[in-house]
Formats: sequence, C-alpha cells, structure tokens
Amino acid sequence: MTETLTRPPVNTPPPPRRPTKRRRRAVAEEPGKRWLIHVPLVVYLLFTLIPFYWMLVFAVRPTGSTQLVPWPMTLEHFDTVWNDIGFGIFFYNSVIIGLGVLVFVTILSTMGGYALARFKFRGQRVFLLALLCTQFIPGAMMLIPLFVIFKGAGLLNSLTGLVIAEVAFQLPLALILMSGFVRNISYELEEAAMVDGCSRMRAFFAVTLPQLKPALVAVGSFAFIGAWNQFLFALMFASRQDKFTLPVGLSYALGEFNTDFGALAAGGVVAAVPVVLVFAVVQRFLVQGLSAGAVKG
Amino acid sequence: MRRLLVAVAAAALALTACGSGETGGDGKVTITFWDNNGGPARTPIYEELIKRFETANPDIHVEYVGIPSASVQQKYDTAIAGGETPDVGGVTTSYLAHLVGQEALAPVDDRINGGPLKDRLLPSLVETVRQTAPDGKLYIVPSSANMDIIWYRTDWFKDAGIEPPKTWDEFVTAATKLTDTAANKYGYTIRGGAGSVFQLITEAYAYSGVDNFYKGGQSTLNDKANAELVDKVADLYKKATPEADVNNSFTQMIAQFTGGSVAMMHHNLGSYSDVTKALGDKVAAIPLPVGPSGKRTIVPNPTDGFAVFKNSEHPDAAWKFAEFLTSAESNSYWNEKVGQIPANTDVRSAAWIDKAAHVKMALDVLEDPATVLVPAPVYLPQYSSITKTDSEPQYQKVLLGELSGQQFLDEMAKKLTEAQKEWEERK
Repeated sequence: MTETLTRPPVNTPPPPRRPTKRRRRAVAEEPGKRWLIHVPLVVYLLFTLIPFYWMLVFAVRPTGSTQLVPWPMTLEHFDTVWNDIGFGIFFYNSVIIGLGVLVFVTILSTMGGYALARFKFRGQRVFLLALLCTQFIPGAMMLIPLFVIFKGAGLLNSLTGLVIAEVAFQLPLALILMSGFVRNISYELEEAAMVDGCSRMRAFFAVTLPQLKPALVAVGSFAFIGAWNQFLFALMFASRQDKFTLPVGLSYALGEFNTDFGALAAGGVVAAVPVVLVFAVVQRFLVQGLSAGAVKG
Repeated sequence: MRRLLVAVAAAALALTACGSGETGGDGKVTITFWDNNGGPARTPIYEELIKRFETANPDIHVEYVGIPSASVQQKYDTAIAGGETPDVGGVTTSYLAHLVGQEALAPVDDRINGGPLKDRLLPSLVETVRQTAPDGKLYIVPSSANMDIIWYRTDWFKDAGIEPPKTWDEFVTAATKLTDTAANKYGYTIRGGAGSVFQLITEAYAYSGVDNFYKGGQSTLNDKANAELVDKVADLYKKATPEADVNNSFTQMIAQFTGGSVAMMHHNLGSYSDVTKALGDKVAAIPLPVGPSGKRTIVPNPTDGFAVFKNSEHPDAAWKFAEFLTSAESNSYWNEKVGQIPANTDVRSAAWIDKAAHVKMALDVLEDPATVLVPAPVYLPQYSSITKTDSEPQYQKVLLGELSGQQFLDEMAKKLTEAQKEWEERK
C-alpha cells in the first residue's frame, strides 16, 4: 500500500486568497454606495422568497379564495394532506430514506474521496472519467433493468432497496466532490501528524476529518435533498401504499381531471419545512472553514 | 426509527430487509388493486368499497395502492416489464391498447357474459372498449364514462340576462358579451397548452356534425366545417379570453374558472368536485354547442374500467373484485361521489342522478337516439404523439394567428390517415 503513496507536488500554489475582500469592505463603508449591494440583494431575495410566499398563501387560504393576504386562515388543506392523503407514513419513509442516504453517501464518499485524492493507482483517470459518465445516464433509462435486479434481490417494496438505489446514484458525484475537498487540504498537515507518531488512520481522523466538516455538510445535505426529492424510484420500486415517499404523496394532489392546489401547497410546506430547518442549522458549517487556511507562508 | 438504526449499523448486511409477504397464513387470499387516479378525491371511495367487499368476502383481502394519475402508464409499463403486475387495476381506454399490446391483460368477455353484469353495461361504453383492442375483445369491464361539457357561471348569465348557449353562434355571442377585460372578466377560457387538441377535436366534431372519424380510410378531421370551428375558437382568443390561455393546461383553466374570472370553461365531468367546491350552485353544465347542421355528434372521452391482469395468481378472486366494483350498488356509489356517468345501466334509476344535473344532462345526451358517437382512434400507437407532441405547439400557432385552422387540421389529418392505414395493415 505504501508504495503507491505519493506526495502531491510541494509547489502546488496555495488556494488564491480572496482579493475582493478589501474592495467589498470599501464599498460597504461608503454610505452613498451601499445600495449597490442592497438593491440586488433585495431583488434576489424577492425572487427566491415570492414562490415560498405563494405556496404559503395557497396552503392556508380556503379553496376558491383569490386573496393575496391569506386571511382568514384555514388548516383544512393540512388536514387533507395529513389525514386524507396520509402524509404521516410518507413523511416517515422520506426521513428514513433521507437519513440513510445521507449517512451512507457521506461515509462512502469520504473514504473513496480520500483515496482518490491521496493515492495514485492504476486506472485512476479512467475511474474518474467513468464516475463522470454515470452522471449522463438518466435514472428513467435504468428503471427496468434496476427493477428486475431489485426484484431478484428481494428489494422491492422496501426502504432499504430505495436507500441502496439512491446511494448508488448519488455516490459518483459525491465522490468527485469529496476528492476535490480532500485535495484542498494540505497533505503536510497529515505528514506532520505522522511524524509525531500517528498512523495514517489516526492522522486522517485527528487532522483531516475536522477540516472536512464543511465538505461533509455540503455532500451530506446534497445527498439528503436528493433522496428527499426522490420520486421515480420511490414510485416504481414500491407497490405498497405504506412504502411511498413524500413526493409520491404530493403528486396525489394532481389528479387526472382535478388539481387540489390547496393540498399541493400544504404538502409542499410539509415537505419543505424539514429541509429549511436542516439548512438553517447547518448553513454556518457550509461557510465556516472556507477561509481557514492551514499552511501559511 | 429502529429500522434506520439497524440499517445504519448493519450497513450492507441489511440488504435482505422485508420482502413483500403476499400470502396470509390463514388461507386468506390477498389481491392487489391499483387505483389509476389515486389521491384524496378517489382513495376514500375505494377504501369504503374495499371494506364492503371484504365484509361480503371474508376470505379475500384487497390491498389498495393509489398510483398518481400522471405516472400510471409508466408504473404499469415497469410492472409489466418486471413481471410484478397487480391482480386488478384501474385502466382507461386511453392506454388500454398499449397494455393489450404487451399482452398483460386477460379478456373478460366470458366472465361478463357468465355473470350478473350481462346486458347491464351501457352499450356505447362496451363498444368503445371493444374498439380499443385490435382483436375486439373486452380487456376491461367498463365502469364509468366521462364527457366533455361546458361549465358555466349561472349567476353571470342571469345578471347579463342571457340564456346558456345551445349553438356555437350563441356561444360566441355570450362569450363576447360576458367579457369585460377592464374588470378582469372573461367570457371563455381556451385550453391552449397541454391536452388542448383533444378538447379542440371534440369541439370541432360537435360543431361540424361529421359523423365518422374516418371515411374511406381518410381522416375527416380536416373537414371544412371542422376548420371553420378552429378559426372561430382562435378568433375568441384575447377578445373574450385571458391572454395567458395559450399556455393553459386544464389546471390553469380550472384555476381561472374557480378563481372567478371566467364565465365558461370547456372541460369534462371530472372537474365536478373542483368547480362545485369553489363555486357551489353558481355553476352548471351544458353540452358542447352544436353547429349550423344542428346534429349532435360526440367524441367520447376515454372510458374508465377495471382490468384483471394475466399474471394474477388469483384470477377468480380478482374478477370477483372487479365485478363487485362494477355491480349496481358499487357503481352507483362510485359515480355519485365522482360525478361521472355510471356504466351499469341499473344505476340509471338511482335517486342521486336526478339531483346531479350534470350527470343527468350527460346521460340524456348519451341516450338520445339522435346523438352520434365519433370515437377518436385512441387505439393507434401514434395517436398520442400525433395529437399531443406534434399538434399542441401547432395549435398555439393557430391561436397566435400564425397558422390557419385548415392548414393545422390538414397536417394532423394526414398523419392520422397514415397511422390508421398502418394499423389496418398490421391488424
């Protein structure tokens, strides 16, 4: 194993500092020019928030109402979603699948990403290319072959099967992302730890892994959202009402001849809230450490 | 939660989690039923019917699976390819030919004739189902029919002092009169986006009175009178309709109508619950207006029904359930809730039909001996691509004034003629 170990070239240029920092501060400090930042920000914020507002309005106003301010409010649509459509079980399934995918994708991509970044092995470039190529194949094309395989393995109608399918589809991109993150962490740090007597494993856990926190959060949340939104596999690989996921539940609101916009919006709120909450908690990790350079000079 | 922990801890070892456990230990037979339009509107109806069925047949357990209607065809295709079809499934004639082509269904002719449903099903629906299969057999037992109609605002018409239109000319007059663009009120809404062409075809034949989709192997779609109607509809665009109509699928159309900005909307009985939920008794239905010929011709909507799948391990139990769903009592219950035309003729005398004005109207039209049915060739494999993928964008050009109605129909008729010829040769 150790023969294949190569040090990355020492003269890799350090990641470029952020020269914009000073200029940005300069703009912000000039009171007359503050609008240069604020106006685009507000416009962008409106752009992203109005659809959310729209969803909330539809979710809480009675059917047939066209008011822009949803008053009086009603919870009938949430009742439809939770009791008539049975969102409870779909919600549970989505959480299980989302967490399962998150855990497996994060662990596997960290291991694989580390290997891709730190070791050189025969066929590495081909392997990376192959990883990229898998991203070009739409899931719908693999549907029937996968269905047959899953049937043979007894994985139809089970959440485990959906987790496996989703992990398999998400892993390539996660691996590529993760190897990039690992590559950006100086190998010298690990070497320093190993000089002090750490094994490679210990050096990884003690030195590299803590610095990978933003990467873990990024890859993990990516995986979670991907699984959370999974519709096609969830509908095709399960033929039992109690194995469907939230997106399948949402699509119940779109009937052949009628669309229950209230239920659709209320379902959207139910489906979006956990994701928004998760992001509210983890977003600080996403930016944290981006500027924390380790090797100075 | 425990399952997650197990899954996480045991990682890949947990591969063989729960299988699908089909047979009960107590000799009870389990059959699966797929609802092809699952959702809060229909699921409770089936749940009630299944409860009744299981009470009457304690040895059969029915497992209900609601499939979202937009994905049902893909779900059936995947299931057929993977050999995991249900025992009974809701199937409409719009994709029946496709399933029959994959030899997934068992014909039900003998079962119908050997049981209580014999001579109890609306002949027009049975005929529609027969025409869909290349061998003329019944692969679904028809349960319900839909019909294209015009929903209109009774209050607007009353306020303006006009009668609901019977002819297309009256329709145009009413639509123009009820339009007040300044007040965001429009007389009509056109379906210009997804699903537009089927509705247009029903309007065209209702107007022209042409009584056959093919004459001598040639599609009659580009008949002069049909083209005249297309131009008349395009004339209304923007004058008596919202400008956004060019992109309307039925959802936007219904949203405009239930939102209260439109006086008349062409859709079908299926939107009954949506429009009445939003507008109460301020809405009613009329048949599509007729043209100068005065003849009433109808292009029937896809017929709903239940299919027994060939791979079913319990075909007798499966048929028992399909037959139960189509029995007078169940069929009456289902169609009353949904507001569609019951296929079982014994339901005709049910009390609710007199109260459901739109169903009674539709039944009257269907039962009127002067009414001629002009079934669209939904059995053609290319039907959907010709009328949707190819033609819907072209229709938008017609609405925008870039293409004449005649050119548009000529193009579509040519393709339908060729497709029909191919189909005849292969039959």
